[in-house]
Amino acid sequence: MWKKDDVKSPGVAEPAATSASPTFTSTYSSESPKSSSFAVSPNAAACISQGIKIKGEVTGTEDLFVDGFVEGKLNLTANSCLTVGPNGNVKADLSAREIIVRGVVEGKVIARDKLQIWSTGQITGEVQTDRLAIEDGALLRGKVEAGKQITKQADVKVSAAAATGKSAPSAALNSGTAAD
Amino acid sequence: MRREVSVPIHLSSRSARTPGTGGIASATGAARAPVPPESNRVSNGLKELLWNLDGLERGSLLDLGPAWQTTLNFFIERGFRVSSEDILRAWKAFLMEEEARLRQDFAASESMDMTPTARATRFMQQNLQYPRSSFDAVLLWDLLDYLEQALVKQVVASLTELLRPGGVVFAMFHSKKPEGFARYRVMDSSTLQVVPTAVLCPAQRVYQNREIQDLFGRYRTVKSFVGRDQLRETLFVK
Repeated sequence: MWKKDDVKSPGVAEPAATSASPTFTSTYSSESPKSSSFAVSPNAAACISQGIKIKGEVTGTEDLFVDGFVEGKLNLTANSCLTVGPNGNVKADLSAREIIVRGVVEGKVIARDKLQIWSTGQITGEVQTDRLAIEDGALLRGKVEAGKQITKQADVKVSAAAATGKSAPSAALNSGTAAD
Repeated sequence: MRREVSVPIHLSSRSARTPGTGGIASATGAARAPVPPESNRVSNGLKELLWNLDGLERGSLLDLGPAWQTTLNFFIERGFRVSSEDILRAWKAFLMEEEARLRQDFAASESMDMTPTARATRFMQQNLQYPRSSFDAVLLWDLLDYLEQALVKQVVASLTELLRPGGVVFAMFHSKKPEGFARYRVMDSSTLQVVPTAVLCPAQRVYQNREIQDLFGRYRTVKSFVGRDQLRETLFVK
């Protein structure tokens, strides 16, 4: 029993101390972050790293990690995951299937499937998502709409994106509500 | 048996050395002072609030406490649109910003009106900016005990504008000056969890019943529930 703990503990990085908090009762707690590697989606292909500033519109179909400064609009279609890192500062409307916020976001946030706000995360603006997970200490200032009704609206938007040749994550949008 | 197995070993061993603290509750922040464990309290005020809101198909609620997962989920599950604004945290940030600005620009201290009323007005220009009659309910918690008197008046006046006719404010008042500082989250329809946290703002004053009634003079119904923990839960119906 003790040996198991001993083996696990070295792998626990700085973010894990917060993720270990029992009050982080996410709707998908089984997926709650266990190490720093989770902060970025395993498929992360693009990164706006610390020190980089972008003003304008960023669109794409791949996962994106933002640890720098973005002002404008950030829209990821398809089955994509957007992560705002601990140093990230985003003044933009965000849209993606899954959004993880560990930094500062100012703007409307639309996560078609799920939104995670870590303890270091700060969101100022309207939030629309199907499922929502907020870690203790996170700052959320704005209107929150969560659940399937919101998903339906997002579905329409995704369908519009699909019409332009992008694939829509139709199956991922029925997986539950924030209140699970 | 204590559930320490799921906690990283360096944290669980620390909690074992710290008597009086819950092992898991103390697992955040190795350098922090011991924080009392979370506790639950029965909330008749919350029960009454829900009774008042019963029948609303798609209500809107303003939560002026921190954004807790459980609280948000509780109301979203019941069909509410929830807006969250941690007023106390915003007030602290505002005060720190003003202090920093004054330190940087000494001349500003002469040009800027530093009276409590003017400061409260500046704060309100940046916060609680919603259209009139936007909300069916407001969770005010015990925030008024921690805000300056001048700001309290402006916050209550603003909330009155934001509430729809028939809207409800759920507030709490300490019967004596609180020793610690706690935030509250909804666990179920009649239970609040008391989460002791680091002091954001010191308690300013203890309100007497008459003062509370004067503050909320524009509300037609007031209902109070006094708890054993020196906390009065009060509902104001506009």
